[in-house]
Parts: sequence; structure tokens; C-alpha cells
Amino acid sequence: MTAAIETEGLTRGFRSGLAVDGLTMRLEPGQVLALLGPNGAGKTTTVRLLDGVLVPHAGRSVVLGHDPVTEGDAVRRRTGVLTENAGLDDRLTSRENLLYVARLRGFDKAAAGRRVDELLERFGMLERADDLTGGFSTGQRKRVALARALIHDPELLFLDEPTSGLDPAGTRDVIALIDELAAEGRTVVLATHFLGEAGRLADRMAVLHKGRLRAFGAPDELAAQLWSGVGAEVDLGAPGDAATVAALGAVRGVRTAQVHLTGVRLVLDDREVLPRVVEAAVGRGLPVYGAVTRRPTLEDVYFAIERRIAAEEGEIGTDGFAGLPTPHDDLYAAPDTASGAAPVPASGPAPAPTAEPGRPS
Amino acid sequence: MSHPSPRSVDWSAIRTIVGRDIRAVRRSKAIVLPMALVPAVLLVALPFGIGLIARNAPTDQVQSALGSSLLKNLADPILGLPERERLVVLVLGYLLSPLLLVLPLMVSAVLAADAFAGEKERRTLEVVLHLPISDRDLFAAKVLTAFLPAVALTWIGALLYTVVCNVVAWPVTGRLFLPFSQFAVTVLWIAPAVALLALGLLVVVSSRARTTQEANQLGGAVILPLIFVAAAQTSALMLLPVVSVLAVGALVWAVGLALLWFNGRRFTRDRLASAG
Repeated sequence: MTAAIETEGLTRGFRSGLAVDGLTMRLEPGQVLALLGPNGAGKTTTVRLLDGVLVPHAGRSVVLGHDPVTEGDAVRRRTGVLTENAGLDDRLTSRENLLYVARLRGFDKAAAGRRVDELLERFGMLERADDLTGGFSTGQRKRVALARALIHDPELLFLDEPTSGLDPAGTRDVIALIDELAAEGRTVVLATHFLGEAGRLADRMAVLHKGRLRAFGAPDELAAQLWSGVGAEVDLGAPGDAATVAALGAVRGVRTAQVHLTGVRLVLDDREVLPRVVEAAVGRGLPVYGAVTRRPTLEDVYFAIERRIAAEEGEIGTDGFAGLPTPHDDLYAAPDTASGAAPVPASGPAPAPTAEPGRPS
Repeated sequence: MSHPSPRSVDWSAIRTIVGRDIRAVRRSKAIVLPMALVPAVLLVALPFGIGLIARNAPTDQVQSALGSSLLKNLADPILGLPERERLVVLVLGYLLSPLLLVLPLMVSAVLAADAFAGEKERRTLEVVLHLPISDRDLFAAKVLTAFLPAVALTWIGALLYTVVCNVVAWPVTGRLFLPFSQFAVTVLWIAPAVALLALGLLVVVSSRARTTQEANQLGGAVILPLIFVAAAQTSALMLLPVVSVLAVGALVWAVGLALLWFNGRRFTRDRLASAG
């Protein structure tokens, strides 16, 4: 099957340095790729390279069977782009903004009018069709911009920070829309640093750091490379004491155990171990309010990779990550690590890559 | 949906961009006001006021003034007129008419600044770069977006100027003294060439600038010398034979087209995107 996107050593620099450095990856049609990384990681440059806006200084790419350098227009006819800033001309109405793009995408006047109305209705903006976009909220602007990106029914969508600047309701709406678009079978490249949205939507993730691709694959595959075992949480209604942590840590199949705010966090050989853990807790007369296994989220994977990168580049020590905050620190950080069980770094539901010897890092 | 072959010029796309840009410009007070006020002052109020003064001023010194060597070439057509017409025709037909060439330069400068730097500032340029339009067609569209209004406004300004001058001078001339041949050739042939020449320089300035203000400042540095040259030389143009005026126009066209061709070849969306 022809890949939707295939790159090999794609490299692009500016005066300030390399923005994308040797990017090699492959994305199949219908997949949703989360292109992740901090500001300046090279996400927008990557999108520009793939859509033929920028010319690479080295390497090559094929997008939907075309070379973006020599067949840029052919690529752009089949791709839709939502830029980080909606890019609407505030001196025009939403209808005029969309008609302009529809005409440039080859619709005749009548067809363009019909398509614009159809999309404005789909995105709940038909009532504002003849209002100047200068007065629109960020959410309304994003919706019009999304409509614009879809005007020609593209096979491949590049969405650059689709939820930046949106309130929670706006974010939820846009996520639902992207979900819908992905479900229609479109290939989607989601450049973002909002991990929650990426986690919900992506079946592939690429982590860029200073222009270099530091990880690529399905979130589950990457998690498996980072961590072995299954994360689990046992809710005891209160932080487990040292004796409890030690007792649960001693159950066959439990690799590590650690106290956390509502009980104990564990890493198990597999999920079949969990009933034995619950049995042990009940046997000790402890109230068990819940016990769940927890798969690492894309967010967990991303931060683990970022920490690994930081360690490799000497930004933090390789012997621990305690100084680097994560979204879960407040929830999972162990108030008392003198539990007798092997410590689990405060980084998520499962051990971080260098926490135990022999694990990939 | 239809798409032209990659090599052909996509006139439909060019028309769409020009139409959209001009519509947006018309709604921008910051652009429309100076483009309306400058012609109103230079081509209506100024000739009206100065024309009234010239019409009523004593004319007995015109002949002696024109006898000086500096104005020798100007003397013949003016001295051939009835005495009471001389001053008003001299002032309105020869001395103020060069102001007409300020208009294509100014309008080009303002619209060229808006064409790329304005798009960057409004953050709409990225959207354009991701559309299936060739670099060449995009360049052509942006040049036309500035060129067409510059020429149209110059011609409208020239018409207004002609009407005002003839109305003011009518009591002493009793005839339409404007347009005379050189004036008409200057307006119809040289003014568009001057607009093109300015755009040949300004489009590149605009594409490199990050903001409209920066583009205006850089553009001003480029355009001001042109304005001085145009204003200083146009009086002389009015005195040349029509064939010579046509030849001067052809030269300006050639330089303007060469500049556009050269800059058009170097114009790529990669450069645009990289510039800011």
C-alpha cells in the first residue's frame, strides 16, 4: 500500500539552525499521527515541508504519492491545512473567507457557494456567514478555519495546534470534530503540544526535539519499549502505610509497589496478578474501594521520552527524574519512599525507563 | 473541480486573489483614507486653489520670466498663447501636472506593502501558501492587486485634475486646454509604467518585511527618490514631442518589466515562509 506520508532524512535549516534534522518516518493512509514536541521542536516546519511550502535542504518525502518539492500543487490539492492561527482575513465575512479558498481550489461559483454553506452549517456557523470574522471568538474562528481546511474534502489533513486558545467547551467541540474526520478515514497529522487531545485521537505518535525525531510509533508500542509490566492502582481510601506496601509488594507477580495518595501503586507481571493483590489486601483487613490496571497514556509516554531526551542531553541527571515535574507528580509522588518495596519514580503509572536495570531507555 | 495544467497561467486563480485582495483593501480605512485624501488634496484642492490665484494674477511678468534660459524650452508653447491664458496654463498644465505621477507611486507602495507584509501581519499568508497556486501565479496576482488600483486611481485622478483645471481656467481660456497630447500620453502610457516600476521594487520589499509598517518604511526609502525624479522630470516630458514621450514611457515599461521578471524568478513560497 502506498504510504500517505513517507520521509527519508528530511532536513531543513534556517539561519538560527536546523529546524528539522533527518526526519524519517512513514504514515499509512487513514492513520492519525500526533506530532509532538515543545515549542521550536520543528512541528510547523515539518508540516510546511510535507505540504511543499518549504524546500528541504536534504532528504526527501513523498506525500500521497507526490514529491512536495516538484509537485507541490498536486500535494496541496489533496491536503487541507489548519494553521495555528486561524488565518482568517478579518476584513472579510466567514462566507467570503471560505469562498475565496473554494474558488482557488477549483470550485466554480455555484458549487463553491453550495459547498461553503454546507460546511458553515456543519460547523454551526451558518448564522454568522455574513459577519466579518474580525468579531469572532477564537472558537468560532477555529471552526471557520476547519471548514476552510475541509472545503475540498482532502485526503490528508494537517492540523497545527487545533485547540490552542480555545476554552474547554470549544476544545471538546474541536476534538469531537477531528474524531469525526478521522473516523471518516482521513489521514490526519496533528501537530500539538496539548497531549490530552493527541492521546484521544492518535494511533501513531512522533516526538520531535530540536528538529530530530526522537520517537515514532504507536503509543502502546512505545510504552512497551519504555516500560514492561502492567501498572495498577489499589484504592484503599488513604495512603497505604509501609507495612501494607511491603505486604502487597510481596505478592507473587508484583514487581514494584509504592504508596500513593489513595492507596498503593503497583507494577504487575500481568493483569491476572491484580485479583491476588486485592485478596491480600482484604486478607489484611484493609477496605478496598477499587482496583484497576492502568495503561500508560500518550501523555505518560511523551513525558517519559522527554525525560529520556533531557537525561541524554545532560539537562537532568540520568540517575533520577525527581527534579522534573510531570502532570502526575501531585498524584503519584511518594510521600514516603521508605516502604521496603522497590521504589517507582514519580513519573506515571509504571517505572520510568532507567528506574530498573535492563529496561530500554 | 477543475485545475489548469501546471505550466499554464491560472487566470481564474489570479482573478480570485486579486478580487479578494481588492475587496479587503476597500474595507480597510487605514488604506482607503490616504488613497482618497492624497488625490483629493494634490489633484483637486491644490490645482483649484493655485489655479484661482494664477487665473487672477497679473500676467505681465510671465513673458520676462519665460525669457530666462532655464525655462527656454517652456517658452514657445506658453508664449504662443493669448497673454491672459499664459500663467494659468503654465501653472496647471506644466508645473502642477507632474503631481499626477505621485499617485501611481503612492498607491503602489501602499498596496504592495499590504500584499505580503500585510498578509503576514494578519497571519493570513500561511493559508495562501498552503493553497494549490503556483509561485508564479501568486506573484502575478499580488502584483496585479497593487497595479490595477494604482492605474485606475491615477486615471480617475487625472480625470478629476483635468476637470478641475478646465473649470478653473475656463473664464480666461474659454476652451478645454487639458488634456494636450503629452499630458494624455503621460497619464495613459507613462503612469502605468511608473506603477509597474515601483512594484518591481516594492513587491520584494514587502515579501521580505515582517509588518506593514516595516514594508512602508523600507518602501518609502525606495519610493521617495522615484517620486522626486518623477516630479522633477515630468514637466520636461510635457515639452517633448509625443514620440519622445512614448519612447520614455517604453523605457520605463522595459525597466519595470525587467525588474518584475527578475524578482518574479526569485520569488518562491519558500522564501516567503522563511522570511517570517
